[in-house]
Amino acid sequence: MSSSREKILAAVRANQPDELPLPTVPSFEGDESVEKFTSIVQGIGGTVVDVLDATRLPEVIHQLFPADYRIASPLLPEANVPIDAQTSIEVLAAVDLAVLQGEFGVAENGSIWVPEANMLHRALPMITQHLALVLDRRNLVATMHQAYARVPSVGGYGTFLAGPSKTADIEQSLVIGAHGARSTVVLLV
Amino acid sequence: MSHSQRSDIFLLDAERTTWHDETLWFVRQKRDKAVYATPEFQELRQLASDIKDHTLSRLDFYLQQFEENARRNGVQVHWAADAHEHNQIVLSLLKQHNATRVVKSKSMLTEECHLNPYLIKHGVDVIDTDLGERIIQLRDEAPSHVVLPAIHLKKEDVGDTFHLHLGTEKGNNDPQQLTETARQHLREKFLASEVAISGVNFAVAETGSVVVCTNEGNADLGVNLAKVHIACMGMEKLIPRLSDLSVFTRILTRSATGQPITTYTSHFSKPAEGKEMHVVIVDNGRTKQLGRPDFRASLKCIRCGACMNTCPVYRRSGGHSYDFTIPGPIGAILSPNIDMRKHASLPFASTLCGSCTDVCPVKIDIHTQLYKWRQVLGQAGEIPASKKWSMRLLSRVLAKPAVYGLGSKIARQSLRLLPHGLTHGKGYNPWAVARELPEPPKQSFREWYAQQAVK
Repeated sequence: MSSSREKILAAVRANQPDELPLPTVPSFEGDESVEKFTSIVQGIGGTVVDVLDATRLPEVIHQLFPADYRIASPLLPEANVPIDAQTSIEVLAAVDLAVLQGEFGVAENGSIWVPEANMLHRALPMITQHLALVLDRRNLVATMHQAYARVPSVGGYGTFLAGPSKTADIEQSLVIGAHGARSTVVLLV
Repeated sequence: MSHSQRSDIFLLDAERTTWHDETLWFVRQKRDKAVYATPEFQELRQLASDIKDHTLSRLDFYLQQFEENARRNGVQVHWAADAHEHNQIVLSLLKQHNATRVVKSKSMLTEECHLNPYLIKHGVDVIDTDLGERIIQLRDEAPSHVVLPAIHLKKEDVGDTFHLHLGTEKGNNDPQQLTETARQHLREKFLASEVAISGVNFAVAETGSVVVCTNEGNADLGVNLAKVHIACMGMEKLIPRLSDLSVFTRILTRSATGQPITTYTSHFSKPAEGKEMHVVIVDNGRTKQLGRPDFRASLKCIRCGACMNTCPVYRRSGGHSYDFTIPGPIGAILSPNIDMRKHASLPFASTLCGSCTDVCPVKIDIHTQLYKWRQVLGQAGEIPASKKWSMRLLSRVLAKPAVYGLGSKIARQSLRLLPHGLTHGKGYNPWAVARELPEPPKQSFREWYAQQAVK
């Protein structure tokens, strides 16, 4: 195995061209308004709900989702499925709704940065049937340039999550709810 | 069979060809809409191109930097010189864990290495989890597009396949219901799999992370449930800095499907506690391509598929007509590097219109490379005799004005006098298969010009 490593690196050294410059990437600015972010999220099949006050969160969740949902969340006292990194797959697979904190949103594409620390379990944002991401409206950036500038470290695992899981693999017909969450709602506080 | 012969098979179904053509053009139009809405898109293309050029020029450094950082993160890094070694590495990792149930998300590299048949031969149940990939896996077909693997199929085909393999009702062709069936079917596989294999969209040297982009969430679901993650990457997937991702995430999906970003843009840097993560770095001909100055830019490709969606030949011949893992214009410049003789017809499957080059988000000069491959193939004697001899004859005729004048006079007369069946014979005049030769003029331009000079 290590012989392949040496062989490959030697071939790369022999064949790569003279060094070309690495450009500096400017920070392209843009519209970082709630309106822009909301319209993009809606365009990719998600919804945005204005919660206004974080204390209203349980009430809004109650309005949006049926009462008997199995909910996993570090943010709600109503959460009734305790999840941590060691939780079994069977328990994870039975979660109806995960309510998780999003770090910041990107207005140009409707994505929200969700690091591992906010997920309870790495698979939770995908295995849950429905996903709600809580986002502080002050934490919006315009483009991916400002987004990556805000990520100090990608940690062990983290994802920019944009709307619900989807596919268009059958005749280019868009279907929401492929393997991940069937719906994604952004709760703006 | 050559590309044109395989295209003939695709073209037998005129209705389907038209659908294929129009559907891909629709995707191209979605790309345009997304691109025009991004004011700095052309600057981003240049940046992406420059970042990739720089990375290729210091690839030895970035490969080692990536390896060092990934190892520091607790990731095990493996190197494979070719497809066979890649497959062996993956199998040995599976054996170490006694794993026979494996889920795999989209990876053109594992297609290139023919990993699935290799694993199946060794008793591993490997399941493709991207919906399009799963459809073609059930049908025992190859992907016909890098982003839309089942674009050659109609919903009726998928309905029949699911009826046969997943027990859906016969005649149920509803995409919504078929997707729901696949969701249930694949969820069982996700929950039961021991190892998850993924591709890699970008590998970040400075952090040792691999980035995987999907819309379905299948890569994340598989990887985050399994005990072991094996990420397989071609060595050209490297980029130097985390901040470079800002450029590539902005151009990838806009170019591919017209979306602003994929649903999941996931950064895998460290294995979860108690789990394992492996990265297999594969050469398989890439260092050879790196050493071809005319063709090395093809290694900048980020597999968005924009060149396929825009190509008038791809849209009307289908991905399978290329008989190579990567079809379309980019496949036609990558494939001769792998096997010049086998893929000799692919650089000719182009009108050289240049549309591929215009839409390429990393500014690969695709149509120029197609033209250059034709020269290489010609010199290597890898073009068909009919083309070789007709070109040789033509070059002699065109080099001598008197011979050309005589020749065109004979041609004009023959076209007028000979029966249509003879001048438009399909066997030796393929140009006339679907076209009429023009009405021959009474005199040539040169004859007319000579007359004007006398007056």
